[in-house]
Amino acid sequence: MFGTQPQQAPSILPSNAVTVLGVTTPVDRFILTGLVIAVALALGALYRWTRFGLATRAASENEQAALLAGLSPNSVSLANTLLSALIAGLLGVLAAPIVQVDSVTLPLQVVPALAAALFAGFTSLWIACSAGILIGVMQSVVYYLSTQSWFPTDNGNAMPGLQQLLIFILMIIALYVKGAGLPRRGEVVEQRLPAVPLPDRLLRPAVLATAAAALALIVLPFDFRQALTNSLIGAIIVLSYVVITGYVGQISVMQLALSGTAGFVLSHLATGLHIPFPFNVLGATLLATLLGVAAGISALRVHGVSLAVVTLAAALAMEQALFTNTSFGGTAGVTVPPPRLFGVNLGPGAAFRGLDGNEPSPLFGFLVLSVAAALGLYVANLRRTGLGRRMLAVRSNERAAAAAGVNVRGVKIAAFAISSFIASAAGTLYGYNFGSVSAVRFTALAALGLIGFAYIGGITMVSGAVIAGLMSTEALIPHALDKWFGIKGSWALLFAGVSLIVTLIANPDGIAGANHRRKKAKQAARAAKAAQTRAENATPDTAGAETAPTPAEVAR
Amino acid sequence: MSMFKVRSLGVSYGGVHALSDVNLDVAEGQLVGLIGPNGAGKTTFVDAVSGLVGARGRVELDGEDLTGMPAHARARRGLARTFQSSELFEDLTVTENLRVTAEQPTWVRAFGETFGRRTPPPSAVADALTTLGLQDFADASPAELSQGQRKLVGVARALAARPRIICLDEPAAGLDTTESAELGRRLRAVADAGTALLLIDHDMGLVMGICDHLVVLEFGKVIALGPPSRVRDDLAVITAYLGASAVQPADAPVPDGGTPSSLTTGRPGVPSSAPETA
Repeated sequence: MFGTQPQQAPSILPSNAVTVLGVTTPVDRFILTGLVIAVALALGALYRWTRFGLATRAASENEQAALLAGLSPNSVSLANTLLSALIAGLLGVLAAPIVQVDSVTLPLQVVPALAAALFAGFTSLWIACSAGILIGVMQSVVYYLSTQSWFPTDNGNAMPGLQQLLIFILMIIALYVKGAGLPRRGEVVEQRLPAVPLPDRLLRPAVLATAAAALALIVLPFDFRQALTNSLIGAIIVLSYVVITGYVGQISVMQLALSGTAGFVLSHLATGLHIPFPFNVLGATLLATLLGVAAGISALRVHGVSLAVVTLAAALAMEQALFTNTSFGGTAGVTVPPPRLFGVNLGPGAAFRGLDGNEPSPLFGFLVLSVAAALGLYVANLRRTGLGRRMLAVRSNERAAAAAGVNVRGVKIAAFAISSFIASAAGTLYGYNFGSVSAVRFTALAALGLIGFAYIGGITMVSGAVIAGLMSTEALIPHALDKWFGIKGSWALLFAGVSLIVTLIANPDGIAGANHRRKKAKQAARAAKAAQTRAENATPDTAGAETAPTPAEVAR
Repeated sequence: MSMFKVRSLGVSYGGVHALSDVNLDVAEGQLVGLIGPNGAGKTTFVDAVSGLVGARGRVELDGEDLTGMPAHARARRGLARTFQSSELFEDLTVTENLRVTAEQPTWVRAFGETFGRRTPPPSAVADALTTLGLQDFADASPAELSQGQRKLVGVARALAARPRIICLDEPAAGLDTTESAELGRRLRAVADAGTALLLIDHDMGLVMGICDHLVVLEFGKVIALGPPSRVRDDLAVITAYLGASAVQPADAPVPDGGTPSSLTTGRPGVPSSAPETA
């Protein structure tokens, strides 16, 4: 309908220019700034002096108390959503001639805006307004400086990504000024995350799934083989979300960017430094892991939404400053030579070609599968170990965890390290899979999509990661839909968006979680029945079945 | 001789002095009650000594200075606490809740464990569950428990760390009279086994009944301390709880706005001995 090309937007504001202090400036810039300030003032007045504003502030502070006071938090929230959409739309229309209108630039304008919101602690309108204007000015100054002759260049062009880096650094400063180590007494850090069931059995489902996938890799035709390999790599990346978001409750958007970093580093280690196969992968994975840990440490003081915002900024900074920088990455892509162990090619072009004799080789599929199985087992087992319990303790309640002797920062750093390692390992497999690494596969928008898939699959469970992997871009499910029903990938994405909303409302623990609950309820029903018959056989009068948990109890 | 020592503890929120110049001593195996009207600063005191709130002054445990240590480091040195609203780890079972405090491995060990099989819980977990009478709920999830049971799990979680001292923030709130008496018996047993306890509670029957020593806070200051029998008759304490009019033998009934009707156990009305201490 609109296409990916930038669209022309007609100017609504006057387009003549004025000369201020010797510089010619279009007059609409001043009008726009004035409008932004006017909107901020109007909103300030609205929230301060009207009944609607009072209701909004009450509902945001304490929904239950607002409910008891006769307010409806739902309608208040709906009205505010409409208001914010109206303002965003209005400013979008007015600013369209200045910024580029395409499918990527405009959505990512949200990141500098979120930086301003972080400075304001998501509450102060006037700080948000002035910080927003200042950030805009600083970005323009960076852009101006980049046109100067002394500015560092990359292949004749100005160094990319410095604006994004600036935003990330500003956010970190904002968090150090405003953030606190632990939430204070009475501070609401409620974020309903789906439950994390304790896996009873690990080995049996793991062996079954691995055997099934291995068989499929041999018998499937080449295109499905490729889709299955893509699914497995997608599942590995989602495993990193299971650790950082599912277990520790920290929403990190930068995992895919870490994958990309590992892929690029692998290319450099393999082609530039000629480091042989297992060592170059290890080196690339560890280097990207270090980057992830460093970014995680700088965001230790934030929780929930703010952390999502910071890691989104970090992902953008990596994308712009590293991936589009031609001396490191570049949009054209860098080649990754196939992995060779003792002279045997293990890559997609390996000699063994399955039943149909085409690429990709099942051998590479086995390599990916073994990494996926090992990491999946590790993550599932993690839930049963002491570190896993401490991660969940931090997720439930950081204050209580600290008082229980848990080093909250340490647990978070450990989670960032494990999660970054998994994402980085996936990135190296990605590089081998396509024989090259390019920036377009690791964008922040793709990362957000992947988190969506993770939620639909079930972000707290390994089985959820597998489901998410099967649904992700170019994976088995979209490929089958395309091949059999002619449904293109973009429609599958739309469907995923809709099902994400349905998931959040009806079934917050995802497909895997729903499956687990059904199984538990069945088990409990069986146990209750067995207890009842036992009780009836022994002493018909006593209510022995009461001690057995009812299905409803276990399901919750 | 005192194992837990707090000296000139002070906490301010903005210009408000939530605590000023509080001193407190607890000996090994001693059960000390910390009481005072709502808003006196009792919970702030526990937050400050456990490291969840920044404070002035000095906190010492077994002669070691804990001042400036983060909360988890204090906990690992034997300073445990419970919370007014239990604050259990909702995603973990009761046993797992206790294991979080009972297991404090080094980082290398903890990382090594993630590659191993699952391990049985340490004996401290079963001991703590038995002490609080919670054996039947070992595998329950916190969401399945009643308010009173959640409180007990909170105490058991603190006890599972085998600490030197536990600060109990209103453990009896939400318990009925028999449950409260039962809790008192169990707490007394814990103290007699050598773990010092600092008990904050509004249930005066419980506090007067089991404590060796009382400290009374009002407006962030210590206004009285001593054995329960003496504190009960202290004029300042009665004034703090019942208002100045209660000290005078008046015909008007004592206002009863949520504060206990008397500091004496089971005897309603103004303590008859009040004028004597005046």
